Amino acid sequence: MVTHALGSCLGIAVYDPVTGLGGLLHAMLPTAAINPSQAKINPCMFVDTGVPALLHKMLAAGATRNRLSIRAAGGAATQTERIDHFAIGKRNYIMFRKILWQFGLLLDAEDIGGELPRTMYLEIGTGKVWLNSMGLDKPL
Amino acid sequence: MSLNILIADDSIITRAVIVKILGLIGIELGEIHQATDGRQALEVLDRHCVDLAFVDINMPAMNGEEVVEAIRSNPLWADLPVAVVSTEGNEERIARLLSMGVKFVHKPFTPEAIRKAVSELIGTTHELRV
Repeated sequence: MVTHALGSCLGIAVYDPVTGLGGLLHAMLPTAAINPSQAKINPCMFVDTGVPALLHKMLAAGATRNRLSIRAAGGAATQTERIDHFAIGKRNYIMFRKILWQFGLLLDAEDIGGELPRTMYLEIGTGKVWLNSMGLDKPL
Repeated sequence: MSLNILIADDSIITRAVIVKILGLIGIELGEIHQATDGRQALEVLDRHCVDLAFVDINMPAMNGEEVVEAIRSNPLWADLPVAVVSTEGNEERIARLLSMGVKFVHKPFTPEAIRKAVSELIGTTHELRV
């Protein structure tokens, strides 16, 4: 699975190594309160609705919460975002940490912030997660 | 084997957060003792068998550095795994603490930083999700 062009957006990979269940979320904005009608159509656009949706689907499909490996990337302040003062990347990340805390889950790895866009990969067969930024691959 | 844990910090919120994190990271918890200052921390060690301690530096009655010195100088506690959790930014003080064999966790901390410290302090005898 792959999600491209993570700027201020957050990419979140969740994987259960025993069942081989995995999911990859690309959340664009921190909270569904920004646009509730859009959140009803696509909750995965927002961190505070997308992360719970992904976790609930994983658990409903047979994943076990204490086995979940959670990795996150993105939340950058790309060039256009540095001058708009909305700090979407930072707010996405803060909301993500809040949701994880509510679910009682910890992160296994993260690559957050900076100024460069990222593409995030999750290999379902192995649970391997890696990033590509400016043509360079690196494991996460 | 369950771990008995001491958390010494004058902030009730910090103590509560550490307790919650310990519950999340997959170690088998035994007794959790809380102390609001350094002197209380030593009293807990005197009365209970503790396997792992979290110690703040800036506490009333007796600061965390003095607590760590007391722990290391008492043969009964000298080998106790200790994580110092503090906003301390003084590099010399941090170096002194590290030389006494503690793990240092900067406040504000993430749950993962506490998990990492626990993992490094208690080794591989416990199954942690790391």
